[in-house]
Amino acid sequence: MTEATQSPVTASPSSLEKKATASTLSRLAKYTLVKILTLGVTIVIGVYLTIIIANMGGEVDNIRRGEIRERVALMVSMNQDLRRLPAEERAKYINDMVKIEEDRLGLDRPFILRSFTYLTDAMSLNLGRAQFLTSDSGSKQVRLIILERLPPTLVLFGTANILLFFFALFIALGLSRHYGSFLDRLVIALAPTSAAPGWFYGIFLILIFAAVLNVLPYGGMVDAPVPDTTIGYALSLLKHMILPTLAIFLSSIFITIYSWRTFFLIFSSEDYVEMAKAKGLSSQMIERRYILRPTMPNIITNFALLIIGLWFGAIILETVFNWPGLGRLFYRAIGLFDTPVIVGETVIYAYLLAITVFLLDFIYALVDPRVKVGGEGPKA
Amino acid sequence: MKRYTLLVVGLLVIASMVLSACQQGTQVVTQVVTEEVEVVKTVEVEKTVEVVVTPEPTRVDRNGAWVDTIVVVEEPSADAAVTRLQNKDIDLYAFTVSNAEVAAKVAASPELKSERTFGSYNELTFNPAGPIFEGTGKLNPFAVPAVREAMNWLVDRDYIVQEIMKGLGVPRYTPFNVASSDYARLAEVVRKVELKYAYDKEKAQQVISAEMEKLGATLVDGKWQYNGEPVEIIVLIRVEDERRQVGDYVANQLEDIGFTVTRDYKTSAEASPIWIRGNPNDGKWHVYTGGWITTAVPRDLGDNFSFFYTNRGLPQPLWQAYTPSEEFDKVALDLENRAYKTIEERTQLMGKALELALQDSVRVWLVDRASITPMRAELQVASDLYGAVYGSQLWPYTIRREGEVGGSVTVAMPSILVEPWNALSGTNWIYDQMLIRGTGEYGQVYDPFTGLTYPNRIEKAEVVVQEGLPVGKTLDWLTLEFAPSIEVPGDAWADWDAEQQRFITVAEKFPEGTTALRKSVVYYPADLYEKVKWHDGSPFSVGDVVMGMILTFDLGKEASPYYDASQVPTLESFLSSFKGVKIVSTDPLVIETYSDLWNLDAELNVSDWWPFYAQGQAAWHALAIGLKADGAGEAAFSAAKADELQVEWLSYISGPTIDILKAKLDEASSEGFIPYAPTLGEYVSADEAAARYANLAEWFRQRGHFWIGTNVFYLERAFPVEGTVVLRRYNGYSEPADKWLRFSAPPIAEVEVDGDDRVTAGSEASFDVFVDFEGQPYPLADIDNVKYLVFDANGELVLVGQAEAVEDGLFQVNLSGEDTGKLAEGTTRLEVVVVSKRVAVPSFASFQFVTAP
Repeated sequence: MTEATQSPVTASPSSLEKKATASTLSRLAKYTLVKILTLGVTIVIGVYLTIIIANMGGEVDNIRRGEIRERVALMVSMNQDLRRLPAEERAKYINDMVKIEEDRLGLDRPFILRSFTYLTDAMSLNLGRAQFLTSDSGSKQVRLIILERLPPTLVLFGTANILLFFFALFIALGLSRHYGSFLDRLVIALAPTSAAPGWFYGIFLILIFAAVLNVLPYGGMVDAPVPDTTIGYALSLLKHMILPTLAIFLSSIFITIYSWRTFFLIFSSEDYVEMAKAKGLSSQMIERRYILRPTMPNIITNFALLIIGLWFGAIILETVFNWPGLGRLFYRAIGLFDTPVIVGETVIYAYLLAITVFLLDFIYALVDPRVKVGGEGPKA
Repeated sequence: MKRYTLLVVGLLVIASMVLSACQQGTQVVTQVVTEEVEVVKTVEVEKTVEVVVTPEPTRVDRNGAWVDTIVVVEEPSADAAVTRLQNKDIDLYAFTVSNAEVAAKVAASPELKSERTFGSYNELTFNPAGPIFEGTGKLNPFAVPAVREAMNWLVDRDYIVQEIMKGLGVPRYTPFNVASSDYARLAEVVRKVELKYAYDKEKAQQVISAEMEKLGATLVDGKWQYNGEPVEIIVLIRVEDERRQVGDYVANQLEDIGFTVTRDYKTSAEASPIWIRGNPNDGKWHVYTGGWITTAVPRDLGDNFSFFYTNRGLPQPLWQAYTPSEEFDKVALDLENRAYKTIEERTQLMGKALELALQDSVRVWLVDRASITPMRAELQVASDLYGAVYGSQLWPYTIRREGEVGGSVTVAMPSILVEPWNALSGTNWIYDQMLIRGTGEYGQVYDPFTGLTYPNRIEKAEVVVQEGLPVGKTLDWLTLEFAPSIEVPGDAWADWDAEQQRFITVAEKFPEGTTALRKSVVYYPADLYEKVKWHDGSPFSVGDVVMGMILTFDLGKEASPYYDASQVPTLESFLSSFKGVKIVSTDPLVIETYSDLWNLDAELNVSDWWPFYAQGQAAWHALAIGLKADGAGEAAFSAAKADELQVEWLSYISGPTIDILKAKLDEASSEGFIPYAPTLGEYVSADEAAARYANLAEWFRQRGHFWIGTNVFYLERAFPVEGTVVLRRYNGYSEPADKWLRFSAPPIAEVEVDGDDRVTAGSEASFDVFVDFEGQPYPLADIDNVKYLVFDANGELVLVGQAEAVEDGLFQVNLSGEDTGKLAEGTTRLEVVVVSKRVAVPSFASFQFVTAP
């Protein structure tokens, strides 16, 4: 994704400094503009594609019309009073009810027109109103629906991923220092266990700790009835987070350690590291300056993508643990073809991704002196 | 130090996330929790006085609910729910489980039990267009009624029930639900039909072959061909449940007799545009694995024939393609219009319609599905035969642990707080409605086993119907009279003038007077206003009833400040039969209602005007603040209006409209607001309004919501994101706790037949029929009738009669010498059908004996 280029940092003659600064600003401005435009177009295309796909190119309209008729038919079949109406009155009632629902869902307007309305709403971040879903507290505004589900997802996946990130980082660094040790070989041996997703571990964890040992809850976010005090609530939340966090952690920890430890090992064998060792620098200083620093762009990228990745949670894991997060919301929205909610989640993800990609280029330049934003030359 | 910076930052991020997620809502709500604790404590103090734990309580001095607290949690997985039940983590799973493996797990656990319910039923819907589809030019054999009729023989319903449904269901051959009063009433006719259409693949093949040849098709190498091409049958198979296997089974059966079958697997959403909305003549499908739902015990299935077999059923293209025979159409129409004068006449028509329906067979009925509601073995709760526990009106009154008073019961349900709660047009999700029924009560409640009603808040009723209408009564809490003509009094209210906010009288609407087919008079008890109090402490008043009357009309009137276009169809259908309502007396409250809408059961002809709206019970003052919000365009009662105005859908329990309602309450309180003042103002005083708004404000201060009812539980708190609801026992409830306890278990009779194994033709024979319930003899007074059917060795129905009552739990089938003389030699089968007055499920038993010459 990055378009930053690498070039050796060289000193400039003082007479050329002003000219060079102006040139750099101009290059930066041009780069920024092009980058924003490119990302903007990418978002528009991505979001519009989501709208088209979520509506099956307009086919969802037909599905909805059919569903409405089926739902009304079923409702009438169950209502003795309506079935007692004369056939003409019953038919009028049914047709009226169908029309009301079709109008409510905007099916009286062609899909192509509505698709541009969805796009405009999405791009302006006016996420509009859900068609079927309501927030748990009862709002139909997509913004509120998403905001309501955001904290549970953030707290669960944020905690799990941050724990994962730091554990993996420090253990990988440690293992890179003890290449070939028992622990190192154990991690390598356990790495394939990460082929199983988090929810898979979740099922086993529930089975062991909830069903058999009965020491941890099956799922949900807090106890029922919900504790009255904030401390009680927090403790209950932590108790409910143990199993899902562990499931996420277990599903990724070994492969992450394995890959990062390999990554660190590669950097550890660079010539400049050998040189540093030969110069007698302490191992901590070598780690910090000669191994960690060149790997910073990768680590920051990993961290940034991890953070925005939290937006979608994990659909199955949240379902297994009955966790009221964005993943389950997204799943329900897809099942109901609730376009505004699907687009709402997607567009926020798209914006976050674009902003991250945009900022990462600048962050690379800040953390790694070898990187220059918008420079000519081979692409990194 | 720097090396620890990253770690410290990371830990800070985690801590901030945890703390941010711990926030439970707005500051207002948090304060409310603090207040709430004291209230809970008060309740618990009273509880300690009342709690009496005895091994087998019979009567206790306790009003309202048996338990003190209901905690409701979300559990989407039935499998997990059963494990949680076993671990005592929950007490009841309020869901109808139809998964056979889960049901077996429940049955195998001594700690668990379940209540069995009906409700959904499956059938094969045929496309009757053709015989040549206009869209494809291909042959449609199902355009021929005889082919459709033969499908009854081609499908083995027992196989479907036993092998596919794993026993969770009963075979169904007719448009009648197996658990229904009509099935019981016509048991011998239905039984004949069931025997006639029993599985017979060879017969099916013969009939279909003959019809295919008439259509010009030929059988080439075991495959039917038409115009040189294979005859293709498209089976539209629903994939969400066992209908997938049913569809595959039917497809296999069709392939076996020579059809080329295309299996089109579809979800509900994918299938509906094809089968219900599409033009049948397009030829996109031939057979659809249909499913329907019944949510209450059916009392009159007479209109099922019109609904399912004629173009009067629904204005959808498929229904418009139905062309029943002239005779069937007339019989179905007569039943729909109830053009009969006696029940006997109706029974004859129904019998005829049954025969003709099977000959028509645009639908082949397959199975009445059964499902279970699992619970702890010690739990008692009334479960509706069709609506299960979550659909039962009596669950709040009957839920308790055996031998225990007080305590807490934890109920799990698959989803919770799905949509906003408001009484007019709020959530209609079955799980939300279960809780809503816990907090709001009805004037009359449905018997969960018969579908008849019993008085809850009303004291008694009188029903008058026009002479000639075949209305009957079963229960003695009401009277039934017939009149040659029922005049509607001129001062009764017939309609509503939304502009003037006053009722239009009958004299104004019908200047020449009008009559009605049915009149009901309900009498409320004299101490109604003293006994019944809303949860916020406001005494019930006639204003609550009048508000209900106004809202029946107002929202559907364009001139109303609260007009809601989505209410118009409902109002129009109501006005098509409604003739008038008159408050004869406000204290005691007596209300007369006149209508052209009538039911066969007098009990179902009582209009009580108790303020239980479409989606819940509500007091006039609680509705008033919602109306203020709705009228100001800040929120709306219905989803349709909310979407139209781009405002929030009103929720009385949580969410963004709570603040709006609070503001409106303050306004209403300061203005002394009485909605529809020109009318309601005559029944509600300014003092009552002020007191009620003050009560509601205090209620909100304590609990943070505006949801109040008068039932045995009140909503303590709803936690939408956490998916938890807490209901607490309402101490102010007036009625004794054991009022509805007799409905804790469905008294389905257990029947056994005994007698001689060998009967000589021409000699008398006698057989004993033992009818029990839970090991006790079934009281004679509770038995409607016991019929017997005798099928001889040729499988012919030879004798039909009534068994004679001997004593409680014992009937006798006595066959005379003349009767036995009609029997052919060989194995003879005696079938007995027991119809109870207390439950709509008839019980069957059979006995085989040898008829000797």
